Amino acid sequence: MTGQTIGMEIELQRASVRFNRFQAVQPTDLTIRAGEFFSILGPSGCGKTTLLRMISGFLEPTEGDVRIGGRSMLGLGPSDRPTALIFQNLALFPLMTVWENVAFGLEMRGWPRAKRRARAEELLATVALADHAGKLPDQLSGGQRQRAAIARALAVEPAVLLLDEPLSALDLKLRQHMRAELKQIQARTGITFVYITHDQGEALTMSDRVAVMNKGQIIQIGAPARIYDHPGDSFVATFVGEMNALPCKLTESGPIAQCETPLGLLRASNPNALPASSDAMLFIRPERLRPLSPGEEAENTLPARVTRRDMEGAWSMIVTEAQGRKLLVNMPNDGRGAPPEGEVRLGFEAAEALILPKGEISHD
Amino acid sequence: MTSLIRAFGGPLTCLILFFSGVWVLGLIAAPQIIMIDKSLWRMERPVGAAELSVQIDGLYNRLDLLALDRSTVADQPEKLAAIDTETSTIQAQIADLERAETTPVKTYTLDNFRQMGAAHFAIFVRTILASLAVSALALVVCYPIAFAVAQLKTARTAALIMLMLVVPYAINELLRIFAWQMLLGPNGPVNAVLSALGLPAVPFLESGAGVFIAMVYAYILFMVFPLYNVLETLDKNQIEAARDLGAPVWQIHRRVVIPHARPGIAVGCIMTFMLSVGSYSVPYIMTRGTAAPWFTQLIYNRFFEATNWNVGAAYALSLLIVCMIFVFLMMRLLKVSLKDIAK
Repeated sequence: MTGQTIGMEIELQRASVRFNRFQAVQPTDLTIRAGEFFSILGPSGCGKTTLLRMISGFLEPTEGDVRIGGRSMLGLGPSDRPTALIFQNLALFPLMTVWENVAFGLEMRGWPRAKRRARAEELLATVALADHAGKLPDQLSGGQRQRAAIARALAVEPAVLLLDEPLSALDLKLRQHMRAELKQIQARTGITFVYITHDQGEALTMSDRVAVMNKGQIIQIGAPARIYDHPGDSFVATFVGEMNALPCKLTESGPIAQCETPLGLLRASNPNALPASSDAMLFIRPERLRPLSPGEEAENTLPARVTRRDMEGAWSMIVTEAQGRKLLVNMPNDGRGAPPEGEVRLGFEAAEALILPKGEISHD
Repeated sequence: MTSLIRAFGGPLTCLILFFSGVWVLGLIAAPQIIMIDKSLWRMERPVGAAELSVQIDGLYNRLDLLALDRSTVADQPEKLAAIDTETSTIQAQIADLERAETTPVKTYTLDNFRQMGAAHFAIFVRTILASLAVSALALVVCYPIAFAVAQLKTARTAALIMLMLVVPYAINELLRIFAWQMLLGPNGPVNAVLSALGLPAVPFLESGAGVFIAMVYAYILFMVFPLYNVLETLDKNQIEAARDLGAPVWQIHRRVVIPHARPGIAVGCIMTFMLSVGSYSVPYIMTRGTAAPWFTQLIYNRFFEATNWNVGAAYALSLLIVCMIFVFLMMRLLKVSLKDIAK
């Protein structure tokens, strides 16, 4: 784009939102770095949209402060903040042409018609919509509408772009394509992106950092790989990606602990250094659980029975049952073939499983 | 047709077609055609009536002469008989001619429309201007109400407010107008308040302002509902998006809300205008002859006091034409098609 727009840092200081008796957002401290692609991931109703509206200025925090670029935003409306919001349904103005939509913010800033038209066309060219300037939003495809909404938001040269699940209405292929495009626009403009989503795939692929939110609270912040591989608690573990969970009781503490599960004694890493005899949960990702060939050994082995095999192309999801518990196994399609239905031995290494304190499990 | 039969079956299709036919012919076409026809003719003295009356006068003279002759030939039965036959033929002839002279002839003409004098035309124009003002005032009053109610988050509150708006309309229109007549009367509460404040009394009823006020009140509902219906369908994100992009409140309305509300504005204005321009009871009750009449009262007078139905029909048709022009203009002005209005 113009290169003048530079992302700003967002800082929440003990910011909370309460509607009457309902605490939508718990007091939150959060720093989103300048120029970062930051996602807020959580189930619907977790308060992530409320948090976004608080940053955009549609809501004032009940308590605490919202600072953007080091300046307190309290008392400033959405139009006075250096932010632009992209709505879930995009909210393009249906009775205006695409270029008028893009130029709307400039029109409100008093730009003369010819100048704002030229600027709108420039912006539309950067999102590959130059040929569609004169159309109405209804005449565009889903992806084109998406890009028009981005151009409209960028026209006001925001330092922070807030996106409220803007990809949720698109089909899978387009969604994946738009992920790459969003990431590219973010890198090109250097604007801070705050992206709200309940889709963990979106959050993990695009973001520099992800915050997982539940019940009005941010539970964990970290790089996507960190969130996925080292979830901080049972909710994050089960909400982000597929996860097998087993209740367990520690019999022996240490960095690698041993615990008693309904499937026998198992060993797993113990990042929280839970003491012996505490009640906990053992988590193991489906792709870390593997069917063992006869004679093959692993640190932990469990007998199970294959009940279903779902071929997904590049990989298969194998549904197994052990002692009445469902265990998912994700196997790459590496040519060896999935085990047939019937008895199977599953194995995993202790370092690849996690023992976390007993807590809330996501059933999404 | 075949798709109708497929959807509803033979007998039901016949019934639907029958009722639509009755509706179109009986309720739309027939009354209009009759009125238009009536406005285009009148009864006139037959052509050549003057020559006829000369001829009749001649025949009467001849009769007088025959009566004279008859007295002179009283003793000659032959001549008497001849005179009597001639008398009766002439009498029959006179009767025929007189019928021809006095029986009016139905003549098609545009004269009925030229019957409107300057005074009536002034009332015609005033009625139209006042109705335009009623529509405009109703729009100004209703737009904020409809917008505010449509913006309410809870559908329950919106439904409740709408119900409260409808409740007064459960009472007969005449009673409501009478109530306004009492409120605005010389000894009514409004003037009582004014005099308590030390202000002079306002002759609401005599000045025609009362008609205006009562009309806005009587037809405001026909503005609120079409407006509410369109404003309710406006995606609230659009308003927020406009705000986010820096639009002040008036710009949000100018660029986003009003363009969206165009069909509702058109329907509301058309309804209030047609109802006000065609209102009879409101001006009748509110003024009762103390202020200049509404055009509808003139139409009524043509029909039932001057008993000139043809001129009455011409007056009524003039009003209808103005209404049609208004509908057309509103649609052009607000760029609304019939399809949008039907929605």
